[in-house]
Amino acid sequence: MPTQVLGPLGHGLLTTVLMTALAFAGALLLGVLLAVCRISPVPPLRLAGAAYVTAFRNIPLLVLLVLFVFGLPEIGLLYSLFATVTLTMALYWAAFVCEVVRSGVRTVPRGQIEAARALGLTFTQCLRHVVVPQALRSMVQPLGNVFIGLALGTSLAAAVGVPELTGQAQLVTLKYDNPLTSFALTTAVYVAITLTSGLITGRIERKVAIKR
Amino acid sequence: MTTRSALAVPALLLTMTVAAGLTACSSSNSEQLPPKPGASGDSYQQVIDAAPVAAAADIPAGSLMAKIRARGTLNVGGTDAAALFALKDPVSGKVTGFDAGLADMLAKYIIGRPSTNRVQVDVTTREVLLQNGTVDSVIATYTITQARAQKVGFAGPYYSSGDAILVKSTDHSITTAADLNGKSVCTETSSTAANDIKQFAPKATVVLFQTNAECQQAVEQGRTDAYVLDQALLLGDAARDKNVKVVGQPFTDEPYGIGVPLSSPDMKAFVNNWLKLIESDGEWAKLWKATIGTALSGDAPTPPAIGSAAGS
Repeated sequence: MPTQVLGPLGHGLLTTVLMTALAFAGALLLGVLLAVCRISPVPPLRLAGAAYVTAFRNIPLLVLLVLFVFGLPEIGLLYSLFATVTLTMALYWAAFVCEVVRSGVRTVPRGQIEAARALGLTFTQCLRHVVVPQALRSMVQPLGNVFIGLALGTSLAAAVGVPELTGQAQLVTLKYDNPLTSFALTTAVYVAITLTSGLITGRIERKVAIKR
Repeated sequence: MTTRSALAVPALLLTMTVAAGLTACSSSNSEQLPPKPGASGDSYQQVIDAAPVAAAADIPAGSLMAKIRARGTLNVGGTDAAALFALKDPVSGKVTGFDAGLADMLAKYIIGRPSTNRVQVDVTTREVLLQNGTVDSVIATYTITQARAQKVGFAGPYYSSGDAILVKSTDHSITTAADLNGKSVCTETSSTAANDIKQFAPKATVVLFQTNAECQQAVEQGRTDAYVLDQALLLGDAARDKNVKVVGQPFTDEPYGIGVPLSSPDMKAFVNNWLKLIESDGEWAKLWKATIGTALSGDAPTPPAIGSAAGS
């Protein structure tokens, strides 16, 4: 039995990894945009950013998944399950990335920003030359946590029909009636993913940290 | 800093609007939820009320049954999302259906009143919960298989069903299991149907959803071409929803058993005797009428012979 489950579980692992990578990339992109909105001097942008974060951060991911998977087709938007779920994950985690980026920016001493503005730098120049290079370094560990949360969160996709790692473990369990083996394997893989990313972010963090 | 709290209120309102809007989109779910209490509620309760109680001599001291009687509740593994078998009424919170009724009747037979403690089970937990003693029995459209029978004891079979196919009412391309090849087919995460689809239509893409309602929704929305599950459950769906229909005849045989701990063979014999009793005195047929019979026409079928399934 153990050898027969490896094939399906391997496929599930690929789906999990692909979904994690795509959703994290999407969440990073959107999250940074949102954070720029939230710290921008334009009030409507700040409002939109805050509204987005509040909306997505306060709905459980599983509820969002069910809403998107079964709600979107009702208004005529029928995409593949994988696309729908990955998009939902990106939208959800973007709210968390936004807050990480925003708090990262807040670690830059206010005096530096005021000094930059006093020197005549524009908002964009100030971000690019003063704020972002410093802020990025303090975001490593929190972003690593978002990544871990996202990687584990992909298991919820099994509930809405995506055959990722957890979904395949369920299928394999149906076939061989051996839940302990398949879920033990699955658990080991998730732990490996999270430990590895924890180690990597720890390394990067130590390298780039700013000693203040 | 005041801007932040000033933003919180509109943001919250937006959240609620978004959530409410999206929920409304999928509200067609709700029309299939109530289990027709008007048609079956009264007689369903009457069946439970008329159910027999075991004689004291049938419950030997030290047996699992004696333990259940002393505890005063039967811990029974089940679900609350299977139409006709065990479906929760969202208003009253009461779980009714053929399986739920049997659980109540079994509890009454042992304890004297239908006192059950329902534990949610699915395919990954059923055997484990029986083995570690969390539940005394599992009554949850639990198909008897020989692999499972190595881990748990099966009383019954108490009902015989088979996998059937549910499609959109406008679909004419699928009539047999072989037609499922090349199509996307959904089924419940906890059902043996996933294996059956792979066996009868190896080229079908299997999609797993948690609940019956989600599978039905997926077919209606065109996300999957068909939904395969036990015929009785699908007929229940089709009876409530005109957008879907059940095609063809069942292509597998699914004998449902009552799971009991393998370590309590006396419990298995006890449940078998109880099943024989309610089958011979007509209680079984009355319960069928009050539950599955609300979606199927005709008289109650003849229950399968106790012990007739391999593994029981």
